[in-house]
Amino acid sequence: MDSAKPAHPSPRQYVTIAGILVVLTALEVSLFYLNIGGINTPALIVLMLLKFTLVVAFYMHLRYESGFLRRLFAAGLAVASVLYFIVLATFYSRG
Amino acid sequence: MTFLATPLRRRIPAKGFWSWVTTVDHKRIAKLYGYTGFVFFIVGGLEALLIRLQLARPENAFITPAEYNSLFTMHGTTMIFLVVMPLAAAFMNYLLPLMLGARDVAFPRLNALGYWFFLGGGIVLYSSYILATAGAPAGGFLPETISRLGSAANGGWFMYPPNSGAQFSPGSVIDFWLVGIALAGVGSLVSSVNLLTTIFNLRAPGMSLMKMPVFAWMAMVVNFLLLFSIPIITVAIFMLIFDRQFGTAFFEASGGGDPVLYQHLFWLFGHPEVYILILPAMGIVSEVLPVFSRKPLFGYAAVVFAGIAIGFLGFGVWAHHMFASGIGPITQAAFGLSTMTIAIPTGVKVFNWIATMWGGKLRFTAPMLFAIGFVAMFTIGGLSGVTHSIVPADWQQTDTYYVVAHFHYVLFGGSMFGIFAGLYYWFPKLTGRMYRERLAKYHFWLMFIGFNMTFGPMHYLGLMGMARRTYTYPAGIGLEFWNMISTIGAFLIASSVLLFMANWINSRRRGAPAPIDPWDARTLEWSIPSPPPEYNFGEVPTVRSLDDFWHQKYDEDDLGRVTRRPDADAHIAELTEKHLHPEHRPHLPSPSAFPPLAGLSALGFAFGLLYHATPVGLGLIALGVVGLFASFLSWAREPLEENA
Amino acid sequence: MTAHTETSTGIDTRKLGMWAFLSSEALFFGALITNYLLFKGRDLQGIHPRELLNIPFTSVSSFVLLMSSLTMVLAHAALTRDNQRAARGWLLATAALGATFVGGQVYEFSNFYKEGMTLSTNPASSSFFVLTGFHGAHVTIGVLLLLSLVGLSFRRGGLTFEHGLNLELVGLYWHFVDIVWIVIFTVVYLIR
Repeated sequence: MDSAKPAHPSPRQYVTIAGILVVLTALEVSLFYLNIGGINTPALIVLMLLKFTLVVAFYMHLRYESGFLRRLFAAGLAVASVLYFIVLATFYSRG
Repeated sequence: MTFLATPLRRRIPAKGFWSWVTTVDHKRIAKLYGYTGFVFFIVGGLEALLIRLQLARPENAFITPAEYNSLFTMHGTTMIFLVVMPLAAAFMNYLLPLMLGARDVAFPRLNALGYWFFLGGGIVLYSSYILATAGAPAGGFLPETISRLGSAANGGWFMYPPNSGAQFSPGSVIDFWLVGIALAGVGSLVSSVNLLTTIFNLRAPGMSLMKMPVFAWMAMVVNFLLLFSIPIITVAIFMLIFDRQFGTAFFEASGGGDPVLYQHLFWLFGHPEVYILILPAMGIVSEVLPVFSRKPLFGYAAVVFAGIAIGFLGFGVWAHHMFASGIGPITQAAFGLSTMTIAIPTGVKVFNWIATMWGGKLRFTAPMLFAIGFVAMFTIGGLSGVTHSIVPADWQQTDTYYVVAHFHYVLFGGSMFGIFAGLYYWFPKLTGRMYRERLAKYHFWLMFIGFNMTFGPMHYLGLMGMARRTYTYPAGIGLEFWNMISTIGAFLIASSVLLFMANWINSRRRGAPAPIDPWDARTLEWSIPSPPPEYNFGEVPTVRSLDDFWHQKYDEDDLGRVTRRPDADAHIAELTEKHLHPEHRPHLPSPSAFPPLAGLSALGFAFGLLYHATPVGLGLIALGVVGLFASFLSWAREPLEENA
Repeated sequence: MTAHTETSTGIDTRKLGMWAFLSSEALFFGALITNYLLFKGRDLQGIHPRELLNIPFTSVSSFVLLMSSLTMVLAHAALTRDNQRAARGWLLATAALGATFVGGQVYEFSNFYKEGMTLSTNPASSSFFVLTGFHGAHVTIGVLLLLSLVGLSFRRGGLTFEHGLNLELVGLYWHFVDIVWIVIFTVVYLIR
């Protein structure tokens, strides 16, 4: 039913996105070598999230899918993030 | 709806052993789960009786410490993973398509696979009694040379390292548990993907989510809990296996690891797990109470949202199982608070159930007795649970029989009572016959009395200091009397189970024939013949409201007063005819050999892992992998329906 | 249930099932990543990952895996245009890139072993190997899925989206395996 949905990136757009992913990766690796202090880690995380989002949204087509699927996938990510953050936090707040 | 017009080409064998092995019919798979789960219930019950015989007297030597450790571990593991979960799966599998107006589940073959993985896990777990090597000697009432009672997994159902690690549990008993539970867990995960998709995608036209029966909502929450919690215990199990077999030290302090990490990972699964165990029963009770009160469920939306809230909050309380593990005051306070909040949606449900019965025309049939018993016993268990949320009180209660009392009230008085309510309630639909009502009532009262005799005193015994998971207790400190009462109660429970079994076996063949709607019920499964035809609905219904079937029989005026429509009986007869003799026979998924073959391959793989140090084991691993790959590839090539 | 049946959500049933499964994988890999984060700097005796990680080599591996996502998506595009041969070609390319990635992992791990960092050296090395090992296992399964699709493409009618195991579902799995690596590469390799 939803293969009739319109928006599908064209092969050209797919290649463009791949190009962006490569650039982002190059940026990440540069940051590793430059090691510019406190901002390094947050910057790496931002780049990682950008790559993640690009692949999920365009390659996995989630941008064009029903909101239900977006929420379903987001739910897993959210539950994982919150739970594991808390676990790590308990170790750092005195075991 | 073109598939309705296509006639069935391959004849599906209706009888015989192989028809059961290759079945993909959700109703048959449900029966497989149900009967297998019930067999494990008896086995787990026997383990419990041995425990109670040992504890009937202080300083008893009926069972040795080693045997005792295996018995309580296997009893708990069995009841949780091999009884309540599969029985819940049985209900969900049987009922969801019928309640939703569907012909089958979303992935019939995957559904079968879930069962075979569960069975495989159970086989691996129980083979430990025969095959596993333990360090400790046996020899209680059975002579040492033949007793294998101490050879099963013995680290407690939660299997904490370092006790369950390589140093303190040499041999293979723990590995049997780890591999068996991992396999069963994959079965549950697979099943949860299937049932979630079924609930979201296969509802009859017009059935919005807020028109679904409460049981379907609870099933949805349960399957989300499974979906998100099984991966976590799978990781914990792998890490413990690696610690035991490959020299890692994830959980060994001496190697730089941390045993508390295991506890986190285990309880991140383990707490949602207890909601997985109780929510199906809550769903059942939410269906049974309205029917036998002749009133709709009070506050449908509140009950639904409370169930969702319980599922959600259930992910936020896990460390309350770790209050005595040195997690520090901040963590303890946070989790104590979150544990208290979970009492709120639970309370909402209890109040709504009571309000459902209030002012209703109550019929005290066996399902109703068990449902009311559920509400009462679960409330008691919930109250003792809330006392655990207060951290200093919990330090007193932890590892005593007070906790044992708590969880048996919610798991037996809760889940099992709910399950018995459901078994009696849907018996007519399943079999087309009525069970014997008087015998069922004897079952209820005997079980109710026995249950309270067994577990009620444990609140007192725990607070008096009787320790859990210990094979005996000293004489002369006041624990004798109530332990004896508890043991007697356990045998009353066992007798009541025999009454249930006699009723079930006898009534299946010789019970009075049941009409399609013997209880004058509310939900769609009562609108089809008993037992249902293989395709469930001859014609897929269109749903206009919650409790649509009820509204087909009854009119309600503005004040909610109900009158039976004059054409109700004729309508039901017409429905029966329509479903039994549809214009175009619906075509159904064909039976498939590949789910059981995949299950068998997984079982071989599992045993191979356990014997990986031997050539036979390595061979089994290889065969298992090849078998799995071949089964799945063949599965992919096989069309779902013969004429697809 | 095939696409000609209407579903209550309007979403294809198999796609819904796959996304549910992928959602659960977040919990699986999340636990392994948490494990690594907990142990990476703790109580280190013996060689630990930070000393041995080869960023240039792994950057190339990451590039390979990213490109495999591109070839996967091109395979999908080819199939929507019903170009069976192109789809098959892109699928093979994806499998080849995936296999290259796994080969790179194997090479990297055997180097680590030679340098004295094994699965059991310390919890940091253990959690490193378990995390990347499970990811590698997922990639391997993905390669098998891709090759199975290629095999199935030779049957009468070729590949379609109607079949149970179809290109779209395998694609979703494949991209997921890629995004897990995106996270691992940053969290394990790049963040000091």
